[in-house]
Amino acid sequence: MKKFLTILLTLIFLLSLVAGIGAAQKDVFATSKITLKLGAWASSPAEKKIVQNQIAAFKKLYPNVDVKITEIVGDYNQKMQLLMASKTEPDIFYMDSMPAWQYIAKNVLEPLDSWMKKYNVKTIGYESSLLQPFIYKGKVYGLPKDYNTLVLFYNKEMFKQAGLTQAPKTWQELKEYAKKLTTDKVVGLTMNLELARIQPFAYQNGGKVFDGSKPVFTDPKALEGLKFALDLFKEGICKTPKDLGAGWVGDAFADKKAAMTIEGGWMIPFLNDRKIPKDQYGIAELPAGPAGKSTMAFTVAYVMSKNSKHKPEAFKLIRFLTGEGGQKYVVEAGLALPSLKSAGVNFAKTYPERKALVDGAKYAQVYFYGLDGTKVVDVFNKAFEDYVIGKKYDLKKNIEERVKQIMK
Amino acid sequence: MRNRTKTQEYLTAFVMLLPYILSFCVFFAYPLVKAFMISFQNFSFLGDAPPKFVGLANYKEALTNKMFLDSILNTLYYSVLVVPTQLIIALILAVIVNDKVKFKEFFRTTYYLPTVTSPVAVSIIFLFLYKTDGLVNQILSHIGITPRNWFNEPSFVMPAIVSVAVWGSVGFYMVTFLSGLSTIPDQLYEAAEVEGAGEFIKLIKITIPLLKPMIFFNTVVSFISTLQMFDLSYIIGGSDGGPMGKAMTMVVMIYRTAFKEFNMGVASAMAFVVFGIIFVLTLIQRKFFGEEMSY
Repeated sequence: MKKFLTILLTLIFLLSLVAGIGAAQKDVFATSKITLKLGAWASSPAEKKIVQNQIAAFKKLYPNVDVKITEIVGDYNQKMQLLMASKTEPDIFYMDSMPAWQYIAKNVLEPLDSWMKKYNVKTIGYESSLLQPFIYKGKVYGLPKDYNTLVLFYNKEMFKQAGLTQAPKTWQELKEYAKKLTTDKVVGLTMNLELARIQPFAYQNGGKVFDGSKPVFTDPKALEGLKFALDLFKEGICKTPKDLGAGWVGDAFADKKAAMTIEGGWMIPFLNDRKIPKDQYGIAELPAGPAGKSTMAFTVAYVMSKNSKHKPEAFKLIRFLTGEGGQKYVVEAGLALPSLKSAGVNFAKTYPERKALVDGAKYAQVYFYGLDGTKVVDVFNKAFEDYVIGKKYDLKKNIEERVKQIMK
Repeated sequence: MRNRTKTQEYLTAFVMLLPYILSFCVFFAYPLVKAFMISFQNFSFLGDAPPKFVGLANYKEALTNKMFLDSILNTLYYSVLVVPTQLIIALILAVIVNDKVKFKEFFRTTYYLPTVTSPVAVSIIFLFLYKTDGLVNQILSHIGITPRNWFNEPSFVMPAIVSVAVWGSVGFYMVTFLSGLSTIPDQLYEAAEVEGAGEFIKLIKITIPLLKPMIFFNTVVSFISTLQMFDLSYIIGGSDGGPMGKAMTMVVMIYRTAFKEFNMGVASAMAFVVFGIIFVLTLIQRKFFGEEMSY
């Protein structure tokens, strides 16, 4: 019995050893042509096309480097972290500004400084606020691939019917217009009930929710601004897409269930896909509050895995994608704004009707709240929900309670 | 054959069982032990920091997390609504289908169908049905009930999920009841009829007492499966637990803690708390139904 077990175990052991050698040999004898994996989340075909074009251009420059796009469908962060746990993550991949520090602090991303020095890439070329989420303890971990800002989309036809000629420019106008546009079938404004949409109102009122290194929860000016936006929901002149029975604001807007919406530039390709003619809607900057204008900027960077086996090539790819050569395609497509300053100038020239997106970049706050980002967003989102559909009317107290519960 | 030794017999048995034992160890025993260890560790599978022993800190964090405590209440609320509704409907259906109904094979199949449908598909279909402009609201508006988004309102989301759950699994319990019904000898009913008993008396005096083991089995199984509910709540409410977290169940909370907040230690601790709850509730049910019940 014992003997049999010993023999069995030895056999299994030997087999696995042989398998191991086989696998190891494959790597050693790999051809000189290398393959880089690029991790991206699933997005619209138009957005995918940009990356494909960029890679085709890159391959022309570096014929011995093959780039494979690993498209991650579903929850990107979750799958990426699982890939990392099993050490099968792509060499370079998209990294959203929000969770960036969480990855960096766990020491799984490659610092890019030495590579940037070696290949002469300077941070000064990029829109400066976009880099903030990717710099941790003085080191750069990612270079922004592109970004987008929030703007106000409005349905021109509905405006005409309500006797309005142009987009609202102030808070008062926003409220007034939303009221006028709300009918039995149409709601004046639709947006998501979440920090990423409501936050600009805090800044438009002269308050803040993040001071550059840590979250600010109960700045009175900010609370007043947030309340203004949340009250639009309470009055029923603003509704979430869910309330309208739509998948997201894009659907609600395209299906004419709402006259206005606050959303990013990614709405444009979506509306094109839905065959909504360009002259049917307008794009304007977000209405200004008592303290001026504000909007959100969402940025995504390319980062490199610490485990990458082809770091020099991986960095060359990042440099290309975020440099003049790659950003050209971002400008051409017009979906998102190029992170390279020099390319940004060209964008506004190519797409005058999308000027509001670029104008917003000057005063935008980046969607980023440091190491505890997810929790911060959670605190605000839950408090907003309580305020709008729940029974807790004291926003400040509610936020404080949630901070106590979640943030330690 | 007779001179085979005991050892040889054990060996044969062992070899035959080996595939199961291996898969049991790899997919059940090892993860279980590992999860138990992780529940006492500060564990992150990102990066190279080794796990740190933190004692009961994870359990403390789990049990002071308001969202987790809420999720326990939500789940119990769900169970208390689902289990009796489901079993009563299943029993009634089983009795009807077992009897002299025409096309009973057809009814058996139709009622069983939802059970073999993926809960994800079921939830998505119900998302459409319960939408503000969905079928349910269109029908309700004819009898003067204002349309609402059933899955998007704090007080309606759980009952709405309950209706989906009952619809989706009543067939399974119906079939188990049917198999129980077939073991009840017809003579008992015939004797009862001779004595002048009606349908209701027969149900109360014969069917239910003789089905007691089956009812116990179904209650326990149904309770355990409702306490572990994940798919419906996750598809309908997402990992935030739907409107104001009212659709958050214990298992969704574990998922959220593990794969959204990447707090493996606390998630494992939560899993063992859930295990404890299920264990205790099952023991209580055993007491309630009497311990002589052998299922």
